[in-house]
Amino acid sequence: MEFLASGFLKAIELLIRGDASTWSAVSATLQASTWSMLISLVFGLPCGFALGYFDFRFKRQVRTLVDTLLALPTVCVGLLVYAFISSRGPLGEFELLFTLSGIAMGQTILAFPIVTAITASIIENIDEDLKLTLVSLGAGKRNIILTCLWEVRFGILAAAVTAYGRVLTEVGISMMVGGNIKYHTRTITTAIALETNKGMFADGIALGIVLMAIAFGVNISLSFLRKR
Amino acid sequence: MGKLLYELNRVCHLYGDKKVLDIDTLDIPAGSILGLSGPNGSGKSTLLKLLAFAMAPSQGKIIFNNRPEAPMSPRVRSRVTLLTQKPYLLKRSVFDNVIYGLKIRKDTKNLKQRVAQALAAVGLDFSEFYGRSWHELSGGEAQRVAMAARLILRPKALLLDEPVASVDTESASLIRRASLAARDSWGCTLIIVSHDLIWLNQCSDTRISMAKGRIFSTLEESILPPPYEKRQGGTIKDLGNNEYISLSPQTGSAAVISQKQIKISLSKEEKDGYDNQVTAQVIQMILEQKTGNILTTLSMDNFLINLSLTREQVSTQGLRPGKKVILMFRSQDIAWR
Repeated sequence: MEFLASGFLKAIELLIRGDASTWSAVSATLQASTWSMLISLVFGLPCGFALGYFDFRFKRQVRTLVDTLLALPTVCVGLLVYAFISSRGPLGEFELLFTLSGIAMGQTILAFPIVTAITASIIENIDEDLKLTLVSLGAGKRNIILTCLWEVRFGILAAAVTAYGRVLTEVGISMMVGGNIKYHTRTITTAIALETNKGMFADGIALGIVLMAIAFGVNISLSFLRKR
Repeated sequence: MGKLLYELNRVCHLYGDKKVLDIDTLDIPAGSILGLSGPNGSGKSTLLKLLAFAMAPSQGKIIFNNRPEAPMSPRVRSRVTLLTQKPYLLKRSVFDNVIYGLKIRKDTKNLKQRVAQALAAVGLDFSEFYGRSWHELSGGEAQRVAMAARLILRPKALLLDEPVASVDTESASLIRRASLAARDSWGCTLIIVSHDLIWLNQCSDTRISMAKGRIFSTLEESILPPPYEKRQGGTIKDLGNNEYISLSPQTGSAAVISQKQIKISLSKEEKDGYDNQVTAQVIQMILEQKTGNILTTLSMDNFLINLSLTREQVSTQGLRPGKKVILMFRSQDIAWR
């Protein structure tokens, strides 16, 4: 266990010293995850609302599909995206393979069903009296939708945090689509995997600490917003 | 009868295959107060939701202000509002809850003054309450804030579904006072569902009862509610204690008898073909301020009958709460709806 303790101390040193490769991985992780979260929220929230609020044909089947996609293995997403953006794939001309955009694309596929499914569940469980109250106060369809979303904002925030946690900690997509290229597409998780393989525990632990700090920061922000 | 605000003609509503509302005709004059009572599941709340245009009837049309209207119509959205027993307060401050309806209508003039007036109408002090969050209110205060959010809209019709059923006495009194003030102040039509018969009798211009999705005139007819049984070659309503009511052959879902056909006696009598003579106990007597009659509630084991009796009838029979009497009526006078 001694190597863990010394690894921890070295991790602190690496972070304080501003080690370039460490901070490059942090930056790549934040860029890819932020873009994927933004895109999945923009599309996932309306889809989740529609799935939870409206009744339509095949709704149950769509819901089952979305719920199944919650357990999507990251390597499967990586494989799918790789096939699409490799030079022989239908999106090959955009040259997205081994780029942060490619990683963001795969992570969006990972986060989208999480945002959609959790939003749908939240909307389905909205108090029956809310809609009746809004109608009786004269709200139109648009007001009803916007007010319902606002009323469940903390639940939606929790959905976003859950999705962010999944995106932040995935390895499969970043490794397969990003290629783990140092100073370019190496993310925190792929770097941890690599450094551990090389026996560089200190670097791995340093990156692990950063990953935990980001997750902690996001949750602190959420609890701050809830208090407001 | 003055100008009609609502006209319902052959309105039916179904949940799945189950018919929960079946109204042949119902007219509600503008500026009137309609009191609505009936057992749970009789269709009262469904009727209010239809009148609030929160949903459309399965069959039939609801005419509001001389025009057939549908949910979300801009002509009704600003004029009809419903307050339920447990209203939903939005997760924001009291001030923001009260102005919600005005904001979506983009009517934002003198908001502070209008909110202060609306809160005062329900006995809440503006400076003390306007900044409070929704979760900092007691049940009675929340109900009063919800009432203020509706009064500020100055609706043409205010529909109240058991508005005082789960609040304290003071809040109930303030909500009752505010609803009557709305009628007196701007001619708001009030449609009130309540089990509080004293309040309904005090304030209503018209009283109706509901059973099995149908409406009955409370002071003219009494419902002999289901269940019914087939026995001895006919239909009966079992009252327990070896007593039952013989009914005419069943042709509808609810048995009804005109109150004029019910005779009160102190003992069973063998006369005039009164084949139904059942024991009932007086449980409540309320003065009807509009007619001077005494609304007498009698309990027959598992259901209640309300009879509007003259003071002479009450004093001749020596009626008082707790007294047992015999209700006499003929099975042939019982109709089915």
